[in-house]
Amino acid sequence: MKRAAFTLPQAAVALLIAAFLIVFLVLPVGTVIYVAFADPDGGFTLSHFSSFFQLSLMRESFWNSLYVATLSVVFASLIALPLAYFTVRFQFRGALAIQTLGVLPLIMPPFVGAVAMQLIFGRSGSVNLILNDWFGFTLPIMDGLNGVIFVEALHYFPFILMNLVVALNNIDSAMEESAQNLGASGFRLFRRIVFPLAMPGYVAGASLVFVKVFDDLGTPLVLHQTNMLAPQAYLRITSIGIEDPVGYVISVLMIGFSLFALWASALALKGRDYASLQRGGSSLAKRTLTQWQSTLAYGWIACVLLLVLSPHIGILLLSFGKVWSFSVLPDSFTLEHYATVAQDSPHMVWNTMLYCGLAALLDVILGTAIAYLILRSRLPLRQSLDFMASAALAIPGVVLAIGYLRTFRGVEMPFTDELLTSSWILIMLAYTIRRLPYALRSCVAALQQMHVSLEEAAENLGAGKRRTIQRIVVPLMAGGILAGFITSFMTAAVELSATLMLTASQTNAPMSYGIYLYMQSAAGRGPGAALGVLAVLMVALGAYLSHRFLRSRATALDQQI
Amino acid sequence: MQDKVKVEARNIAMSYGKTQVLRDINLVIEPGEFFALLGPSGSGKSTLLRLIAGFNQAQSGRLLIDGEDISRVPPWHRNVGMVFQNYALWPHMTVHENVAFGLEERRLPNSVIERKVAAVLELVGLKEFGSRRPSQLSGGQQQRVALARTIAIEPKVLLLDEPLSNLDAKLRVHMRVELLALQRKLGVTTIFVTHDQEEALSISDRVAVLDAGVIQQIGTPVELFDRPVNRFIANFVGTANMFAGSLRPGAGGMVFESAALGTLLLPGAPAALAGAVEIAFRPHVVTLVEAGTAPGGGGIRLKGTVAAREFLGEFIRYVVTVGANEIVADQAHYTDARKFEPGDAVDLGIQPEQIRVLRA
Repeated sequence: MKRAAFTLPQAAVALLIAAFLIVFLVLPVGTVIYVAFADPDGGFTLSHFSSFFQLSLMRESFWNSLYVATLSVVFASLIALPLAYFTVRFQFRGALAIQTLGVLPLIMPPFVGAVAMQLIFGRSGSVNLILNDWFGFTLPIMDGLNGVIFVEALHYFPFILMNLVVALNNIDSAMEESAQNLGASGFRLFRRIVFPLAMPGYVAGASLVFVKVFDDLGTPLVLHQTNMLAPQAYLRITSIGIEDPVGYVISVLMIGFSLFALWASALALKGRDYASLQRGGSSLAKRTLTQWQSTLAYGWIACVLLLVLSPHIGILLLSFGKVWSFSVLPDSFTLEHYATVAQDSPHMVWNTMLYCGLAALLDVILGTAIAYLILRSRLPLRQSLDFMASAALAIPGVVLAIGYLRTFRGVEMPFTDELLTSSWILIMLAYTIRRLPYALRSCVAALQQMHVSLEEAAENLGAGKRRTIQRIVVPLMAGGILAGFITSFMTAAVELSATLMLTASQTNAPMSYGIYLYMQSAAGRGPGAALGVLAVLMVALGAYLSHRFLRSRATALDQQI
Repeated sequence: MQDKVKVEARNIAMSYGKTQVLRDINLVIEPGEFFALLGPSGSGKSTLLRLIAGFNQAQSGRLLIDGEDISRVPPWHRNVGMVFQNYALWPHMTVHENVAFGLEERRLPNSVIERKVAAVLELVGLKEFGSRRPSQLSGGQQQRVALARTIAIEPKVLLLDEPLSNLDAKLRVHMRVELLALQRKLGVTTIFVTHDQEEALSISDRVAVLDAGVIQQIGTPVELFDRPVNRFIANFVGTANMFAGSLRPGAGGMVFESAALGTLLLPGAPAALAGAVEIAFRPHVVTLVEAGTAPGGGGIRLKGTVAAREFLGEFIRYVVTVGANEIVADQAHYTDARKFEPGDAVDLGIQPEQIRVLRA
């Protein structure tokens, strides 16, 4: 009997998801692009772009953003490349510590640590005070755009590190051995064989860093470097108003750069079907280090670790410090910042839990449904769901928020008099849309690992489609779904770009907004840091739990096979 | 063409931590020989090959190529070409670039490189494929590229690690004939590793069979098949019926006694083996006739019942119950040949000179 192409429930679910994605992703982004190119009568025009480039402030912001993103990638690479090569190539115990570095950007977003970094590395920060006392000179590490670059590179280098480590580990040892067999060794071997093979991984990581830095709103704002694209978009919309076309032009430019970076990383992978050629075999051979070499390696890695951990250490000191100004360390320590936070902002902690919890829940529901539809149904156009959901990757938070504010202005929530734009619903939905690509990947991977025969066996024994999904598919996907939930939750908890624009009142504000607000004033730094520490702890706990769970699950699945 | 070289292994032993993977390996591979290392997985055959290439280090023993000890020479200075099991073609380079790699590492002038690359690509029949990427080639073509890349450097010794295992059955038979032809043309001493006994027996001059890190026997394919030295060889190279018992002198020659088969007269068996032994004989040396039919040409006769049969094309493989034991007997198949059904009573005939006596 020939099966129908799809069932009615499948089609209904697909239509519901499509409607959701269209209303909360395609329509807002489409509106932003439309406004950027539309003249007052609705016709096509490039005049907004030309007036954008006529403003010297905008030209400066444009180049500043490019400059900061590019240099951040350069510095992140300088940190990540040697670390990656070390862990993969040599036998030493630092590998675990370096892997731990990989979760740091998830645990604390750059804007939280930025103020602490200024206190440590700024003009009158700890490091420069010591340098000045001992050697009589200072380093302009945190001056102007340098500070943004420094903070971003330190926060995002693990993206390059992780991708590179995976790429290097995937290289079959035979690739290297065959080159040795034909006469290559040492640096020539690295340059001609190892590095080109790891290139796609590097480009993937580097383009991710570029996009993240380009889109980051919080760090430049906290460091008062507003002459960049994301802060300008935010300031234009919040000060001049939702009608100002310059904000939309910036949005289109930001989408353009995101797409460019994603395209570049796709290009690096294209035509290099490495997997099919690298079956079997082991990874690159590990070498042992001599005593002297390993001392050097450990020392250097300790320095990098200290640098990477400095924002975390700084924020901790700041949260306990009574006064910390023009001194190497805070003068005395106190718990009163935590008391302030406990009194002023428990609702922010609750809001974060509520928004991020709901957003993560929606993400995994959508993710599971889309994954099932793409992999298990023959619904026409099912790939477009995947495409739409993944397209959110290229949409900066600022842009999505502007789109929401414009598209839904004046729309009232059903059954209340409240405006949709002033409620927390939009914050939650922005989180949902922005984290959906990650949750979706996680769900797709979980379903891909599961052989169709497991479902067919259930159907063969009399379970219908719905019962099969309920009793077989969802339980087996549970690990992937949970991983998706936690990742969504964690990253949403520290998201600032969309939060800043969509938070309409203090009572609706989540933690990330609270941290930002506190950090604006010198007196608020202590409580801000305390709230930051709480957020970091919350996210770190999530990261730890998901890691634990995924590990135990991985071993369980191995035993099953 | 270079001079043909000899490869020698002397008392080589190697272990990974506490696991001994090679024990007391002694080998002499003659110049220009096509030599196979045969063994089940985990027998140490690949380890030995990688040792010759320089990717493994032996704890003791010496490795000589052309009379020169190369135990301490790094892989990139050995000039021992190896074709990897998964070919290890670099995906970021074209076929031409892959083949030119070793020549470039030898700092040859460009004109020489171009000439040599063109020559080896022509030799393996891939003249038009230089600008392709490895991923655009079929499995057989990838293997030719891997081969071309290795012979381009004119290695002293050619090492092949399971070279045919990634190809489908038809192509495998075709490629092994080509491989042998190419080796004969180049005259390079070649060592290849395989777990497939048919592959080893069909193309090699000599074979070393390894098990548990020890060379069990070295010999020509015919020697291994006809004169296995122990139970492992008899079972691993071809199929064998084996029975344990004792050998003693008797009237008319040596006599083999066992609970399974009773007393058998083996006139040709060496008296030196007297004591506990095993006998081995191939399934195709057993003749089956209907029970009670006149014996043909004397020899040993046993009575049994057909338990099962398998039709394999050229022959039919019968499993015959003799007492409490089973004997496998292959009978040549041709149209109108006498066939037996399970349950038929049969007589088995074996010529004593076809029975090999092994020390137990």
